[in-house]
Amino acid sequence: MQSIIGVLILLALFIANVYLYRANKNTPLPEGCENLKPDCAACGIAHCAIRDQKGSEG
Amino acid sequence: MNLFTMFISAMLINNIILTKFLGLCPFMGVSTKVGPALGMGAAVLFVITGASIFSWLLYTYVLVPMGLEYMELICFILLIAAFVQFTEMFIKKKSPKLYQQLGIYLPLITTNCAVLYVAQDNITQGYNLIETIVNSIGVSAGFMLMLFIFSTIRERLRGNDVPKAFQGNPIAFIIAAIMAVAFSSLAGLV
Repeated sequence: MQSIIGVLILLALFIANVYLYRANKNTPLPEGCENLKPDCAACGIAHCAIRDQKGSEG
Repeated sequence: MNLFTMFISAMLINNIILTKFLGLCPFMGVSTKVGPALGMGAAVLFVITGASIFSWLLYTYVLVPMGLEYMELICFILLIAAFVQFTEMFIKKKSPKLYQQLGIYLPLITTNCAVLYVAQDNITQGYNLIETIVNSIGVSAGFMLMLFIFSTIRERLRGNDVPKAFQGNPIAFIIAAIMAVAFSSLAGLV
């Protein structure tokens, strides 16, 4: 019985995760936040592929 | 231990970054500018406090009565991930300005081990709900403070002539080590 309750709790948390993930994805971004990107200058990884790509584009 | 002592202890003396070496990824990654550092600090403060409260409630009122204490780790991980999703969605809907500042950092917090550590530590130490809230705010305020101090130092470093071999992360780790030594002097404060 105890293990069944344990599985049910895990299942409930997993379903909550999936539901919130989908709800979050479906929530429209606020105005002006459509193209938010992390600032590469704020990141310490100097040899990141994204940073190199941005550098060559710019 | 009274609540004020607990807060100071969690924030300065047992600082999660300098004494436990947790949350080093955002500490190194998001600390080269003051703005993003403060944004990350605020996001971590909100998530650690919220996730700790929910974890405590889940443990005390669900897992303990059912005799399922051994499931705390996996339950807390799922709870933290769900809480971060909920927080992101809530901020998107209710505060676009805050989302503009924190939005990109919120998903990173799911993988911040400091959040899980605080949730588990509150249980291990046997704190009640009020103590859990105070300890969580203290730990995350310490995280935010360190991130702020570290980012101001790194901003000033940009204008300095650092030897090539030490540029970037090496000099950042040396600074972090010096900060750790400095803060260890607070050990006798409480």
